[in-house]
Amino acid sequence: MRFYSQSFLYDDPWSIVSYAFFMRYPNPLASHILSCDVISRTFNPSGTLSTTRLILKSGALPRWAPKGIVSRAESWVIEESEVDPAGRVVRCMTRNLDHVKVLHVEERIVFQAVDDGKTQQTTEARFVSNFGWGLTKKIETHGLTKFKANIQRSRQGFSMILDLIRQSRMQPMAMGSSDSYTPSRFLSPSSDVRAPADKAEERPLGLRGGGSWLSLRSWRRSS
Amino acid sequence: MAHSLSEQCTPLKREYDACFNAWFEGYLEPAVSTSARPEERQKFAQEKAAEYERNCGKLWVQYRECVQKAVKDRGLESLLEQARTENPLKDAPPAPPAESS
Repeated sequence: MRFYSQSFLYDDPWSIVSYAFFMRYPNPLASHILSCDVISRTFNPSGTLSTTRLILKSGALPRWAPKGIVSRAESWVIEESEVDPAGRVVRCMTRNLDHVKVLHVEERIVFQAVDDGKTQQTTEARFVSNFGWGLTKKIETHGLTKFKANIQRSRQGFSMILDLIRQSRMQPMAMGSSDSYTPSRFLSPSSDVRAPADKAEERPLGLRGGGSWLSLRSWRRSS
Repeated sequence: MAHSLSEQCTPLKREYDACFNAWFEGYLEPAVSTSARPEERQKFAQEKAAEYERNCGKLWVQYRECVQKAVKDRGLESLLEQARTENPLKDAPPAPPAESS
């Protein structure tokens, strides 16, 4: 088993970070997310909200992986979360449903309101392989290495969403200062972190053409 | 919003997600403070649940029906059932005590 943990402090209030967390897909830095569905959502007697989402991710296998190790390089992931608005906590657990014998990844994230209107995120991830054939450790280490490499990128994607939400909330107050809404602010960070081998390169980034994910602001307000 | 696992469900998903997100914003910023009495919190939660049902209940039923069928068609049911029985959030890290600031 390999283990990873990290904590991160957002300057934004818990309600905004939690809101952004649930709408983090799609974003231009998460092109590996192929689909995301809510399959169950219930209120608990204590007033918290439990949600289960089913997510399909694409992913490439390492070059040293034996042929036929998995039938396809896609993975179903389940995300279970509980939102407690009174206690100001979101707890979330994500794990893969298939290829679990090869590598089981379990990620736990907690968003907790802390003093000064900030939000603390703690992330814990476990990597367990039962593959055998002398590859167990190598697979687990590969999982951990990839996870670490991706974490910066997903945080970047997440902060884009945070930015959009922040801006849309400021809109009624920021009279006439349309400069602050131009998407150009997002362009530089996004192009900086895009890895050369990434799939996002193959398709034009949505934000250049005013693509669907940028319409976030409009659909949020439309209903 | 991200696609649904089935293209057929994507329009239903978009409609439902938009409804949920609009509602969710208010759910995350309770009119009652964290130091409110339990009865007040309870009342807030009940009101929000009723509001969700009123606004998004119909959309949810349509979307869920579509996704459930898609899950079945793709043979994902057993995978999901297995995941459900394990109920992972039970042994999730305990919530730190609520700040009353």
